Amino acid sequence: MAQPRVLVIGGGLAGLSATMRLAELGVQVDLVSLVPVKRSHSVCAQGGINSVNSLTRQQGDNEWKHFDDTVYGGDFLQHQPPVKEMADWGPRIVDLMDRLGVPFNRTPEGFRDQRRFGGTLFKRTAFAGATTGQQLLYSLDEQVRRWEVEGKVKKWEFWDFLEPVLDDAGRCRGAICQDLVTMQFRAFPADAVIIATGGCGLLFGRSTMSMVCNGSAVSRAYRAGAWYGNGEFIQVHPTAIPGADKLRLMSESARGEGGRVWVPKTPHDPRDPRDIPESERSYFLEERYPKYGNLVPRDIATREIFDICTNEGLSVEKDRLCVYLDLTHVPRETLDRKLGGILEIYEKFQGVDPRVVPMKIFPAVHYSMGGLWVDYEKSSTGGLVEGSPRNQQTNIPGLYAIGECDYQYHGANRLGANSLLSCIFSGLFCAPGVIASCDSGGKKAAEESSRLFDSGLRREEERHRALLVRTAGDENPYDLHQQLGNLMTRVATVVRRNDQLAAAYAEVCSLEERWRRCAVSDSGNWTNQNVVFTKSLGDMFPLAKLVLKGALQRDECRGAHYKPDFAMPGIHATDPVEKRREAEAWCDRFEANTRRWLKSTVAACGPGGEPEISYQDVDTSLTPPRPRLYGLVGGEEIEDVWKERQNAATVGGNAHKGPAAFAGATG
Amino acid sequence: MIRSVESTGHHDGGQPSQSPADHGGNGHSAPQRFVRVRILRQDAPGEESYWERFEIPYVANMNVISILQQVAAQAKSRDGRRVAPVAWDCNCLEEVCGSCTMLINGRTRMACSALVDRLLDESADEIELRPMSKFPVVRDLVVDRGRLFHSLERVKAWVPVDDSYDHGPGPRISPENQEDAYPLATCISCGCCLEACPQFTKIELVRREDESADDFEARRTAAFDAGFVGAHAISQAMLFNGHPTGKMIADERLTALTAQGGIQMCGNAQNCVAVCPKSIPLTRSIARAGRAATVWAIRKIFDR
Amino acid sequence: MTANDPSQSFLARHQFLIYRLFSLAGLMPVGAFLVVHLLTNASVLAGPGVFQSRVDMIHSLGPLLVPIEWAFIFLPMLFHAVVGFVIIANGLPNVGSYSYVGNVRYTLQRATGMIAFVFIIWHITQLHWLGTPFGGGRFDPHHATSSAAVVLRPLLITILYAVGILSTVFHFSNGLWTLGITWGLWTSPGAMRRANWISIMVGVLLGGAGLGALGGMRSVDVEQAKVIETRMEDVKRMLEGGQSPLESSPSHGQAPAVHTSETAAPVVPTSGSVPRTPSGG
Ligand SMILES: Cc1cc2nc3c(=O)[nH]c(=O)nc-3n(C[C@H](O)[C@H](O)[C@H](O)COP(=O)(O)OP(=O)(O)OC[C@H]3O[C@@H](n4cnc5c(N)ncnc54)[C@H](O)[C@@H]3O)c2cc1C
Ligand code: HEM
Ligand code: SF4
Ligand code: SF4
Ligand code: FES
Repeated sequence: MAQPRVLVIGGGLAGLSATMRLAELGVQVDLVSLVPVKRSHSVCAQGGINSVNSLTRQQGDNEWKHFDDTVYGGDFLQHQPPVKEMADWGPRIVDLMDRLGVPFNRTPEGFRDQRRFGGTLFKRTAFAGATTGQQLLYSLDEQVRRWEVEGKVKKWEFWDFLEPVLDDAGRCRGAICQDLVTMQFRAFPADAVIIATGGCGLLFGRSTMSMVCNGSAVSRAYRAGAWYGNGEFIQVHPTAIPGADKLRLMSESARGEGGRVWVPKTPHDPRDPRDIPESERSYFLEERYPKYGNLVPRDIATREIFDICTNEGLSVEKDRLCVYLDLTHVPRETLDRKLGGILEIYEKFQGVDPRVVPMKIFPAVHYSMGGLWVDYEKSSTGGLVEGSPRNQQTNIPGLYAIGECDYQYHGANRLGANSLLSCIFSGLFCAPGVIASCDSGGKKAAEESSRLFDSGLRREEERHRALLVRTAGDENPYDLHQQLGNLMTRVATVVRRNDQLAAAYAEVCSLEERWRRCAVSDSGNWTNQNVVFTKSLGDMFPLAKLVLKGALQRDECRGAHYKPDFAMPGIHATDPVEKRREAEAWCDRFEANTRRWLKSTVAACGPGGEPEISYQDVDTSLTPPRPRLYGLVGGEEIEDVWKERQNAATVGGNAHKGPAAFAGATG
Repeated sequence: MIRSVESTGHHDGGQPSQSPADHGGNGHSAPQRFVRVRILRQDAPGEESYWERFEIPYVANMNVISILQQVAAQAKSRDGRRVAPVAWDCNCLEEVCGSCTMLINGRTRMACSALVDRLLDESADEIELRPMSKFPVVRDLVVDRGRLFHSLERVKAWVPVDDSYDHGPGPRISPENQEDAYPLATCISCGCCLEACPQFTKIELVRREDESADDFEARRTAAFDAGFVGAHAISQAMLFNGHPTGKMIADERLTALTAQGGIQMCGNAQNCVAVCPKSIPLTRSIARAGRAATVWAIRKIFDR
Repeated sequence: MTANDPSQSFLARHQFLIYRLFSLAGLMPVGAFLVVHLLTNASVLAGPGVFQSRVDMIHSLGPLLVPIEWAFIFLPMLFHAVVGFVIIANGLPNVGSYSYVGNVRYTLQRATGMIAFVFIIWHITQLHWLGTPFGGGRFDPHHATSSAAVVLRPLLITILYAVGILSTVFHFSNGLWTLGITWGLWTSPGAMRRANWISIMVGVLLGGAGLGALGGMRSVDVEQAKVIETRMEDVKRMLEGGQSPLESSPSHGQAPAVHTSETAAPVVPTSGSVPRTPSGG
């Protein structure tokens, strides 16, 4: 029998770890990527990677608690067995990356140093300077280069994935891709195809993500029949540096070290911020949350900053939404010592010294929890069956998805430093299953008739040509993208309202209509970035629609999805009896909401390209959902009631207890 | 020069220019300012290059990437001709992916961290963008840096682990060793060090009509192998020769470093370290490589 | 040493070795010779007698001088120069775009190498006996100071010599610094800064010696120098047992076996000139 051949699309952490493991298992891998894999978006991750470790273990930590923090942080929206398996693998993965040469920071004795990240009480996060993602990616890139020299891997860099090729039985047999230099098309026969193409930040115009995070590959798989899960869950980071080209992450430690957030009381006050007297400033976080001040949890900070700019019109600038994050009152030595690195980033890209002039910041789209729907096979111990071809497989047999572009691990909200783990885990873990799937797929792709690929090739060539001849259109793709981004950012990020979502859906449809009249200004056939961009813009609309529709239909608040009209307010009664009653009512409502909405959103691409949404039950067999109460008024009372109910339900039962409530956190 | 015209003025772009935030603070009738850029373009390998000039509305905190985005969006040259958008590479926009290297005002640097205000201080008249000169131009500002990655293969820039299964943690490493290694590990493969290096010269081969893709690939690889590996690769070799597991194939790396195109090609101009956007101590690596090669060569003579 | 791919040319296979030998040659023997040469020449500042005795010391090697010169000076220098030109041809100086100190030095290293090459050839033709067929070779080891001084007297020649000497000195002392990096003697930026001082000191010292010699040659009274030299010549001959200068003459190298000490140079005026012995100082 011929050697199995696997096509991996995307060379971020997920794609590279899968490639490495597959090559090691003897599989011939073709690795396709829009950019040289070493330049993938994963290099941007700064914070670190989570796993239980020998230190935290002795402080009472274990894999279960990592699992529990993850599902609690994700508001219980993720299936639990894959998360458990990932948490179990955590220590091994970090050990492996350590062996591959990642220069993790060290303790004086030479062990890996760890830091504490949001969403846990333990120092679980291993880090390599301020560029952990870069270091992890590089060490995998190096291993894959090694396999490339061995001849096991062939890289196709500057290639665009256009569509999966399915046989008559609906099994994936390869893909059609395009060389972005010569603009030639090529069919890649493969026994399995793995999509590892990362997030889709470009749907929102500018985000903290890289420029190739346009979601095109995922959208193309979706249009070919793959389902998309939990699309409406988009994580927004509260503090990013707005730029004309990109929104760059500003670490939350700036607030941790005493940074104060404020806006001038006069809208768009033209004065130098340093000349604005205290009395004319509004420290709105401190005013609204006297208890937490500037250190309110991320989601609250995000919402308030968003609110003061959009609803109250108090943005510092007229054309660009932003507020001041002020560190100028903190002594320079303290800043240099504690925040040196991140303040340099600000200075480098803004050309302004944040030690002297207040920074301008605004929330920014940061991560997409949703992604291609993938399957798993649950083991008897609650984890996954290793080597099962179902793990990470989409609903299309032979088509897999891993990394940020799957929907599997982060539920409604991702914890900081968990994404790097999920990317590497899904890549490594899926490999034996992918091979099993290759073996079960019948005849090898290499033996497949060329008819299968020819029709795909022709379709893509035709699509491409149709775009090229549209030079006479009257729409500019870059303007359209900007409009789409502005729209999505306005209605589908921090605060969501049904009327806006519904209107936005219609607007996206009309934008898509206008896209069909897009003019490409370059009709050539050599490194035509213009037409490639226009094509990928066209692929953003189906995703935008499923995000909007999913958000519109989900009438609740969960994780990153916040609809004020369906928020569950805290309890304000002072009378103990009344308080108790309200807490009971709160818990009743919570349970009802869980029954109604603790479901994965699954979008399938309908015949007209419109998303058809259905809901699937979430596997919560390992730990039952419980409310996230952090910062909620009356949270203690509610927690008491909740615990009583849990105890009543599981008399002498489950010994696992979640850690104290914490802020849902991101990285 | 930033030219100031009233926003009602004769901007070629056609669309009414949305007045960007003006920090002069003089309120509503802020004049629209424009930034002039001159870009050295080339339609494809082997074609003649030519200059094209653009005029872009100024926005506060602009960098070269936002200029190029605007160039693509307006697709019109300064004299109002419709032109194909300029092709260029970028990804992260935060100086960590290494994509966007180009010659900006004659100097190699990253477009994403090149702030327009600073560039205008350097040359107030016009900002100049050119593709890197040491790599073959693919189109406009896009160059083929395959050779840069090939150098990493030459010096075996990896830790030769047995496999990716669980064998416990990696070796213990002192904080000093980590602090020594980390800066080297932050190399973003941008190629600035190669562009500025007077000893690193361009290798551009054209595929012959009668040549198969594989033959061409082999010929290209051979040419790369004969050329200077470059500062980045020397530094990577030193990074891995300093790692407890990586050093197990230290001799193989030294063999590579002393083969044709190895460290001996370095002429100690030290431009590499001066232009490296990540401030990697490249000359330290080069000197360490020189020392290692000295010791190793002597040892080889006596161990023969 | 690095014989990896046998299909490569000999030069390609041994590129590292060749470059290292080139570097070594710059230091030893060529550089070492340069130091000795410049210091010897500077001894003219102590008077023509001192210089003459130094020259005599060198020429006391007799017939061995020729092979020694070829083996330790000319061939290594030629080797260094040939490889140097190959290196220069393969480089692409770019100080225009990157005017960093290191790059300026890199470019100067090449420029001064080429100046040194031209200068040394010219210098040899002019003074060394090898230049005799070309109308040069005007250095007379028995009249070291006076013969050199005559040649160097014209202002233009002095200026060209100054340029040549300073270039060579820069080339050598800067070369010392790069050599330390090449061989890995100084690796950290701090060590390189400190090593830089060594190279500057060597440069200043040698530059001073070179210019001093030049100045010394110019300020010397030729007639008086001749007198001294002739007297020393006579003394030598006397010590050798009254051999006629004519007998010892045309074949060079039969230099006096005994040399005078500096202080012993007697100041006895003698007349008559000695035939030129074709040998450089
Ligand atoms: C600023 C920032 C900081 C972060 N910090 C952290 C952190 O500290 N800890 C943490 O755990 N997570 C962090 N994250 C999240 C994490 O970085 C990402 O989720 C993760 O890197 C995604 O990796 P990936 O392998 O899925 O995809 P990516 O790294 O995005 O790679 C995608 C790959 O797919 C290729 N590709 C895309 N489209 C196509 C196509 N059409 N055809 C061919 N190839 C294609 C690309 O070229 C690329 O190689 C951060 C994210 C951001 C934005
Ligand atoms: C007096 C004669 C000379 C002396 C003493 C001398 C000495 C040196 C020394 C010590 C070095 C440093 C080597 C290193 O960095 O490893 C050097 C470098 C060099 N020399 Fe010379 N040299 C002389 C003549 C020449 C000549 C005639 C040329 C030919 C043009 C030349 C060309 C070079 C070049 C190009 C380098 C730089 C090599 C590099 O850095 O890669 N040199 N020389
Ligand atoms: S020090 Fe060496 S590698 Fe660096 S620029 Fe100079 S010649 Fe090139
Ligand atoms: S060493 Fe520096 S300049 Fe060279 S490729 Fe790496 S980051 Fe770029
Ligand atoms: S775009 Fe990544 S380095 Fe500039």
